[in-house]
Amino acid sequence: MTEKVKRATVGIAGLGGLGSNVAIALARTDIGKLIIVDFDDVEQSNLNRQQYFFDQIGKAKVDCMIENLRRINPDVKVEGHKVRLDAENVPEIFAGADVIAECFDTAEAKQMIVEAVLSRMDVPIVSASGLAGYGNSNAIHTRRISSRLVLVGDGESGIDSVKLLTAARVGIAAMHQANAIIELIVDGIKV
Amino acid sequence: MGVLRVNGQDKEFAAEKFPLTVAALLGELGVEAATVVAEVDGQIVEREKFTATELRNGQRIELVRFVPGG
Repeated sequence: MTEKVKRATVGIAGLGGLGSNVAIALARTDIGKLIIVDFDDVEQSNLNRQQYFFDQIGKAKVDCMIENLRRINPDVKVEGHKVRLDAENVPEIFAGADVIAECFDTAEAKQMIVEAVLSRMDVPIVSASGLAGYGNSNAIHTRRISSRLVLVGDGESGIDSVKLLTAARVGIAAMHQANAIIELIVDGIKV
Repeated sequence: MGVLRVNGQDKEFAAEKFPLTVAALLGELGVEAATVVAEVDGQIVEREKFTATELRNGQRIELVRFVPGG
């Protein structure tokens, strides 16, 4: 397992509750390289579930995550982009990635990147939908939708209906994503 | 009558509904297209092609509807 993971590159689209946790789990697994992308800065309201520190408020998430990942595992190569991803720039920014993690917050952005990766690239994407609220841990599951699409979540708990995001439940979904990514890297894409 | 396998379940549609487009299928199901990724027989259909893509009897359709939060 270790050698395959060490040679792998993973693209992470969004560095919020999902992406910051996925990045750290993969760094601790000794992933070869991460391409991390987010256009936002750290806000105090993020600290209830995102892997930043109080003294990082106001700084770019990409810069803070590079710093945090370096403190955890300096052997991981990290390429950061503070940009807004769209269908056009996704293939360029994630060129060379073996797997992509969809870690956005809005439903439209999730739709955009999953569609862009499936139609414009040839690598798998691990997406998450339905992780708001608390409790009901076992409703969050990992499903293989098709050969290149893995979907994590309970499929229905959105922040639009369940007005709450918690470190624990978002974290469960993020760890499902990280675990599915490692599985794809080690075992390959099974058709 | 025609049958489409939608997210693993057979759904019957009256013959006059065909040719049924992906957009029309979403309408039948009451699903908002902006938050959906569609695959037909394992192939991605881009959202801008939902209105132009006609479905045939027996096809396998996966519709992934995203909800916000991350």
